[in-house]
Amino acid sequence: MFIRDFGLDTITLAGALPGKLQAIREAGFSQVMLSARDIAGHAGGVDDAVACVRASGLRVTGFQVLRDFEGLSGHLHGYKVDVAKSMISMCKAVGAPLLLACSSTSQHASADLHAIGRDLRKLAMLALPHGIRIVYEGLSWGRHINEYTTAWQAVQLGDMPNLGLAIDSYHLFATRTALDGLDEIDPARIFFVQLSDFMWNEVRTPEERMATARTFRVFPGEGVHTPQLTELVLRLQRMGYAGDYSFEVFNDDYQQMPPSVVAARGRRAAEWLAEEVLRRSVPLPHEGRLDRTAALARRLSGPPAPIEA
Amino acid sequence: MSIPVERETLSDASNPMGIEGVEYIEYRTARPQALGQVLELMGFRPVARHRSREVLLYRQGSMNLIINAHAGAGSHLQPVPEVPSIAAIAVRVRDAAAAHARAIELGAWDVPVRVAPMELHIPSIHGVGASRVYFVDRHREFSIYDVDFVPIPGVDPQPPAMSGLRWFGVVQYIGAGRTEDWVEFYRELFGFLELGEDRQAGVLPKGTVLRSPDGSLHLQLIEPDSVVEDGGEHFQRVAFGAPDVPAAAAALRERGVHFVETERLHVQTRGALTRSWLGGLMFELVHVDA
Repeated sequence: MFIRDFGLDTITLAGALPGKLQAIREAGFSQVMLSARDIAGHAGGVDDAVACVRASGLRVTGFQVLRDFEGLSGHLHGYKVDVAKSMISMCKAVGAPLLLACSSTSQHASADLHAIGRDLRKLAMLALPHGIRIVYEGLSWGRHINEYTTAWQAVQLGDMPNLGLAIDSYHLFATRTALDGLDEIDPARIFFVQLSDFMWNEVRTPEERMATARTFRVFPGEGVHTPQLTELVLRLQRMGYAGDYSFEVFNDDYQQMPPSVVAARGRRAAEWLAEEVLRRSVPLPHEGRLDRTAALARRLSGPPAPIEA
Repeated sequence: MSIPVERETLSDASNPMGIEGVEYIEYRTARPQALGQVLELMGFRPVARHRSREVLLYRQGSMNLIINAHAGAGSHLQPVPEVPSIAAIAVRVRDAAAAHARAIELGAWDVPVRVAPMELHIPSIHGVGASRVYFVDRHREFSIYDVDFVPIPGVDPQPPAMSGLRWFGVVQYIGAGRTEDWVEFYRELFGFLELGEDRQAGVLPKGTVLRSPDGSLHLQLIEPDSVVEDGGEHFQRVAFGAPDVPAAAAALRERGVHFVETERLHVQTRGALTRSWLGGLMFELVHVDA
């Protein structure tokens, strides 16, 4: 576990895409988790946003977020399939190997776990020819799936090689879900881990969880769940989790601070995790990642398949 | 023992698309004449032209092969490649509309159809890379080519196959670590099953071989040798089945086809590989029982 295993989410920083990418890079990170908003809302258009990402030299960890996909039927399902196809196309264009899908909050969504699994399977099939993996996350205010344990059941029912689970420390702390459930999970099926904390002990209602999640997360080491966060990361390491970590820190205060200042806080969190929690040495910033990643990035940077639907 | 086909629908689970063979394989190239010359060396004959597009139908025995050089081919956004590339596989199915609808329901990407008046609407989905998979069910009562193609005058519309050549399959190059994904893609959508390690398929027994439920089409999935060599995902070459590979190779040599002859890879009973033309076009022969 090195500092290069950690990245920053663009949603963590204020401003426009180029400034975010620059701040992330200058803070010493080598990877970025992109938000679709940063690409779709880029002043120069999507193609220019893609060019900015590629020019940044940052490896793209993944792309977020597809919401409320599963459990719908009829025209609602058809609408969400179209949205998913758009997200997959953008994901491919920016060279992201993962698309994050979070559990549905929709009142129209079915609670039937088999229906949820079937929809996740379809989503994974939509992404498959494009070389993209779907990573499913249980939001702590999700309507039917709000813990990683049930999200894992849905992923198992979906049963596709390119479908896996995202662990987000925020949701896990918000619902106070025990970490023991991790023992039941195949580490190879955990595709991605998001880390953040918050500053109070309890968020009892879904509304409170959502409000805190969207306005007052903090970096690992800055919140009140440091022991749990430490245990989570150590457990994942013991399990053999080999994927990426990213800091997804929605925070209204950070949105009013220069991206470089916030990215530097992220850098401190990465150093703390790498050096003190996991006790590994820190290689130089921007050191090249594994060949596997470079090869994947090259493959994804090829001409995109025509998308017309 | 012959099994009455209509009595029960037992086959549906293992052949969910009702695949009944390969209707045609389509190449795209900006150099249709150069490709046509190579196809003629390989025993194909041009038999018909498309009514409205720069598209030619070649045939030998049971194999139909289409050369598509139509620059404005609406459904293809990419420029026509110089090096001929395998752009589509058309499979025969019991019910094309049902097969297409099933694929879309499971998460395949639809290809919007753009046909000229009086042309056939052939439903299709996106395949690997920029390729398509077409579903054709009009192969018993009449030929789809009767509608969209005009026969070339004076040529035998049914030229016999050279040395018993027939479709065997297609080699697909895939990304590093992508075997499991593509096996699932072809299994879920088409009912293809993986052949075991003891398979004997050609001279290049690398990768993973899948077979269509009706046995008419094989797909060989090949990952790059090293992750650094990752060259993208696409159909790489077509393999023809031949009851007697050395005899077929000898007949093809007489027509001017060259085969790869190295210590590791050469013409042998189980298969052979042609040298490449036009910057990357090659064919494989694979032994099949007559």
